[in-house]
Amino acid sequence: MNLEYFLKAEAPSWMGVDGEENDIVISTRIRLARNLDGFRFPLIFTDEEAKTVDQMVTQAFSQLNNGNHHFSHFTIQEMPVLQRQVLVEKHLISPMLANREKFASVIISKDEAISVMVNEEDHLRIQCLSPGLQLIETYEMANKLDCQLEKLLPIAFNNQFGYLTSCPTNVGTGLRASVMMHLPGLSMMKQMKVLTQMLARFGMVVRGIYGEGSENLGNMYQISNQVTLGKAEDEIIDDLQTVVMQIIEQERNARQTLLKQSQVALEDRIHRAFGTLKHARIMTSEEAATCLSNVRLGIDLGIIKNVSKHVLNECTILIQPGFVQQYAGTTLEPGERDVFRAKLIREKLNDGNSKLKEKGEEKHDV
Amino acid sequence: MICEHCKQRKATVTVTQIINGHKSEKHYCEVCAAQFHPFNLDFHKEEQIPIHQLLSNWFGMPIWKNETQERAVQPSIQTNACPACGFTFRKFLNEGKLGCPQCYETFGEKLPQVLAKIQAGTKHTGKRPGQKVDNNRIIKKQIEHAREQLQLAIQDERFEDAAKFRDEIKALERKLEMGGVDTP
Repeated sequence: MNLEYFLKAEAPSWMGVDGEENDIVISTRIRLARNLDGFRFPLIFTDEEAKTVDQMVTQAFSQLNNGNHHFSHFTIQEMPVLQRQVLVEKHLISPMLANREKFASVIISKDEAISVMVNEEDHLRIQCLSPGLQLIETYEMANKLDCQLEKLLPIAFNNQFGYLTSCPTNVGTGLRASVMMHLPGLSMMKQMKVLTQMLARFGMVVRGIYGEGSENLGNMYQISNQVTLGKAEDEIIDDLQTVVMQIIEQERNARQTLLKQSQVALEDRIHRAFGTLKHARIMTSEEAATCLSNVRLGIDLGIIKNVSKHVLNECTILIQPGFVQQYAGTTLEPGERDVFRAKLIREKLNDGNSKLKEKGEEKHDV
Repeated sequence: MICEHCKQRKATVTVTQIINGHKSEKHYCEVCAAQFHPFNLDFHKEEQIPIHQLLSNWFGMPIWKNETQERAVQPSIQTNACPACGFTFRKFLNEGKLGCPQCYETFGEKLPQVLAKIQAGTKHTGKRPGQKVDNNRIIKKQIEHAREQLQLAIQDERFEDAAKFRDEIKALERKLEMGGVDTP
């Protein structure tokens, strides 16, 4: 696979529309932090060590006989800045890896469900993504690769502290499980702050999906475990699953309450958002995220019937600055981006609709 | 309220002490509280402090320590540098990160007190290299969940769904017997 394959303007497989509870849970992500014994952590390692680590990992991957997954290796340094940004926006690499200059690389599976970052904060960051709520399945995917790599690489492990990582917040299992959720109901009912505080008590963290400081953009939240030591993998996953199921129930209740108490106002809000997406000529990422959230809610509640969830998932990814600029084929000033973003969304929504009509799946009037 | 110690500034910090079940409350201004409180935490900014800062606040040198004490502590820290990467415990407290896998052995005695604050425990209880993860707990939960779904399906007379859940339960039970390994 060449890099262009991973830069295409489509939603990756993990943003598919199958997956359980997919009206509220967008995707599931599992990350395992691993390091190689005998090498200093990326924080202070020498160029020589970095190079050796990268080579060892690349070598290990070439020995993997993984029937289902075809892996491609890319060196960060060789990528233009804009392409790195697109990979960040697709959640295939972290912003930290994108900014690393020396001997940082990423190994991505063809279906983009697995990406392994090399020489990020740790030597290895195994990451697996799935659509909907699939914590156990996704963990098994990551664990399988981890078990294979363990046979080929000297993974740093200590009897007391478990898998050793650069930061003590990851030591032990090295496992971070996170679930991306769309919570417009709880946001509108002003429940998110309480929820965030409550989750902190259970050792869970709530973040926005478009990076730090984007807490309520598009009502998308990422909920993940904080604790990695003192709890086994299955406990961590089980606890997160329990919490997520409770949030799903609360979100469903909030949506029904909103529908009962203020149906017309809610419908108005949803249809306005849809109109804006279809007709606006200037669109900031904030406005786009907000409108997409409202339309998504509209689809879930059956208020909007002629837009596919798949198109919406694509838009959620494509409204980000990197993708907009890639679509334009050049770097853009923020003002110009907003114009291209509006155009991109209009095209996607119209394209998606015409496709649907061709298939004859939906025949509702717009 | 005026600070009980300097009797000049406004008291903004309440220190509650419980000694042998006897509770006492003191009211200090921020300046005096900073001198008395053993951990020197900034009460107002606690939430925003980055993790490495927190580590040094908990275990770093309190600022009011006088020079002689400082000198007495310094050499022992320096001799404890990690032989593999040269990292010292003090550097770890400042950076919030360790230098290499060997650091965990070098600072093996001091680390648990740090980890206890940020983790659920100080001992790894999960997967070990070359060992299968015990999936039983998860599978049991899945079976429980599927059974509930099965009951609901039967109640609502959704028999196709019920059959699906029944098969799912069978598959999960088989998996449980095989010791959590996914075998075809």
